[in-house]
Amino acid sequence: MIEFVLNGTAVQFDDDPSMPLLWAIRDQFKLKGSKFGCGAGLCGACTMHVDGKATRTCVLPVSAVAGKTIRTIEDLSKDGQLHPLQSAWVAHNVPQCGYCQSGQIMSAAALLADNPQASSADIDAAMEGNLCRCGCYPRIKEAILSVAQLSYDATDTAITSPNVQEEASS
Amino acid sequence: MTGLNLSRRKFLKRGAVVGGGLIVGMQLPGCSFSGPLPIDSADDGFVPNAFLQITADNSVTFYCPSDEMGQGVRTGLATIIGEELDVHPAVMNVVSAGSHEDYNNPEFGFQLTGGSNAVRVFYLPLRQTGANTRALLLAAAAQDLGVPVEQLSTDNGEIVAGDARYPYGDFVATAATLAMPEQAPLKPASEFRYIGSEFSRVDALAKSTGSAQFGIDADIEGMVYAVVARAPVAGAKPLSVDDSKARSMLGVIDIVPISSGIAVVADSYWRGNNAVKALEIEWESLPLAQVDSKQVRADLSAAIQADKGTEAAAEGDLEAGFMGAIHQHESEYFAPFLAHAPLEPVNATLHIQGDRADLWTGVQSVQAAQGLVERITGLDRGNIRIHNLYLGGGFGRRGTLTHIVEVAEVAMAVKRPVQLLWSREDDLQHGLYRPASLMKIRAGVDGSGNITAWQAHRAGGNITGDTMSNLLPAMFPSMPSPILETLASSLGYVFANWSVDPSSVEGLHESYSLTNYQVAHTTVDHGLPLTFWRSVGHSYTGFAVESMMDELAEQAGIDPVAIRLKNTEGNPRMHEVIRRAGELMADMEVPEGHHLGFAAHSSFATDVAQIAEVSVEDNRIKVHKVTCVADVGTAVNPDIVRAQLEGGVMFALTAALHGEIDLKDGAVVQSNFHNYPILRMNEAPAVEVVLIDSGTAPTGVGEPGVPPLAPAVANGVYRATGQRLRSLPLRLA
Repeated sequence: MIEFVLNGTAVQFDDDPSMPLLWAIRDQFKLKGSKFGCGAGLCGACTMHVDGKATRTCVLPVSAVAGKTIRTIEDLSKDGQLHPLQSAWVAHNVPQCGYCQSGQIMSAAALLADNPQASSADIDAAMEGNLCRCGCYPRIKEAILSVAQLSYDATDTAITSPNVQEEASS
Repeated sequence: MTGLNLSRRKFLKRGAVVGGGLIVGMQLPGCSFSGPLPIDSADDGFVPNAFLQITADNSVTFYCPSDEMGQGVRTGLATIIGEELDVHPAVMNVVSAGSHEDYNNPEFGFQLTGGSNAVRVFYLPLRQTGANTRALLLAAAAQDLGVPVEQLSTDNGEIVAGDARYPYGDFVATAATLAMPEQAPLKPASEFRYIGSEFSRVDALAKSTGSAQFGIDADIEGMVYAVVARAPVAGAKPLSVDDSKARSMLGVIDIVPISSGIAVVADSYWRGNNAVKALEIEWESLPLAQVDSKQVRADLSAAIQADKGTEAAAEGDLEAGFMGAIHQHESEYFAPFLAHAPLEPVNATLHIQGDRADLWTGVQSVQAAQGLVERITGLDRGNIRIHNLYLGGGFGRRGTLTHIVEVAEVAMAVKRPVQLLWSREDDLQHGLYRPASLMKIRAGVDGSGNITAWQAHRAGGNITGDTMSNLLPAMFPSMPSPILETLASSLGYVFANWSVDPSSVEGLHESYSLTNYQVAHTTVDHGLPLTFWRSVGHSYTGFAVESMMDELAEQAGIDPVAIRLKNTEGNPRMHEVIRRAGELMADMEVPEGHHLGFAAHSSFATDVAQIAEVSVEDNRIKVHKVTCVADVGTAVNPDIVRAQLEGGVMFALTAALHGEIDLKDGAVVQSNFHNYPILRMNEAPAVEVVLIDSGTAPTGVGEPGVPPLAPAVANGVYRATGQRLRSLPLRLA
């Protein structure tokens, strides 16, 4: 039996501990927002946060997350309030087919949690492992920069976070 | 389908009659099949036609006839019908229509999403449908309110009568009793509220929160998972199978032979995929097993040199044209096999219950999916419901549905709901490919830059055959299955050996107004399955033609933009796109070491010119920026148009810098993204899109951004290095 915290709730997993976390989350916990793209940690569609770090879960056995905290795209919006990145994604019309976007957003969210004022080069480095076959990269970058820019503004003018979210969605 | 009540029956009956008469287009003989619309009507749902349902609480649902694979078609078509219905697309519930003849693509004659045509061909029919429905609601409101219809107007889902406003839903009961107008007047473009304005895609929120449902997300209680071992060499059958080890593995439920290989049925995809690797299979040997990439190239080369090929298109007098030329030039260009690699590997979930079946998937032809399930299960087509979810990328790959055949065969064998999923390795090694192509172009130009003669010859496999045999069930739904099967197998052969498949040579001359030209073709088919790949023939002919234009310009001592302007005087729309792009390029200032390359190409009724800013450092090509000038006619949602052209640039840049499917002993070498790399963010150029509105109806946007990119980069690389790269992917010596 493996225990971990999934989106704020303590959960137990008693199937094969070598099963990749992605399939445990999708098939056993029925959270389908994280996607399967390559099965080899090469495309980033399966990205979740493991203890806050963006992690490829299609090659990560469940045994490796015992006692850890897992966050998936389903937990990114809180109390009906979109994460600023999600608002920016909508405002910039980022998604095309949309299949990679959960992974993109989770990678971007981990980046901004670490580095709220991420530069263009920071974004290139952090997002390099997330493939988008539709080629939404310029918009992904613009959307992340718009939120990073807000965080500059927030620092400058001490705007509280709910206002930041409003601006992001405008 | 429970709780059918009289009022609903009345609504649906009227709807079916009206809906059937709305869409006119090419109908293939034997192509009509009827049956109930695949609409779950709300109890108070008014269904005036196949495309709309309006309920008393004023919820408006639009049944989108085309498949959403990222191109924005749900938003685009909702905008078109919403413009005349006067309902903002953002407040509509936009869903994927199932399979029904009322949703036939007017140009194809059946439901198929491809060829960048959905917005173009549905533009008038959906506007008319919206306008007729709005007129009907106005007539119903006039009757209910006792007000002359002339005193009523509409505003985003509401009837406006003086100061009073009433939701459309108030009048649907009366509307259902009235006759639908057939030709309600359409708005002039000057009155458009939604067409031409920019707002977020209707699927942007769902796709930013992980809640958008793709085929892979279908989850049916009690379903099992199927993973298939397929022959390394396409089409080979198993000679012997040792499945003893695989059968003993945890989670394996059954192992069944199917037409494409050996299917492992397990309690999870992961366990099934592990068990596939434990199968020991000896496959038959096919001629393709003797082929590797070098052989392909040599065969194409031999075919180009052997003779002039079969004429595909010609005009004027070629010999006289060459006689009149002052400069002549000849070059050969090569493009390799390519895979589509949509990020969601193909998959399907089938649940057969008694005499009915439900299929959850994401495909570019729901009717073909339905027909294939019918063929394999023997169920009545009307009892097979297709739930087409979002497609995690299409690019042409989801128009050929061998995975639907597979899921149906497995479901019939195991008698349980089945989800079948391809691994990434399956996707790259067992799919269908953009054909490798060799093109020779010989051209002559006179002293003032007129192309006096143009001779183009392409050798390679034909694109259409493998897909056409798969699409037959959609095109001929009323044809009995055994006849279809015979036809499918023989047609596949016929198409593969077709001397000139129009898709294979498209783009070799059409962008320019040429007086003396000839396009010829030699079919060289190695047996690797082929299909449409974003921009189809243009994906390689654009590279050849636009590289040649720069070579010819240099030969004649003419500016590359000037020679293109000179030879598009008979094509004003293309001419203007080139002129505008040329102006932009002339004003560009680039840093030292950066160089500009230019290319233009017309495809899917849209004209596009691109300027690539490139540099070469440490023998590596870097594309910094692409400026893309396009005339797409009326841009229904300009921001989505820009996004499609940006995406086209990225898709084409992946191919230009990295894309290559190699064969070794007839098997595809590439297996995952480590050796079939997709462009990453740090390689992505900035893209600036400039739209020219010539005022025409909308033309294609999904594909036309692809063809000019590779030659624009190659032309820039030539300026940077003096090396003329005539093979894709672009690799410096």
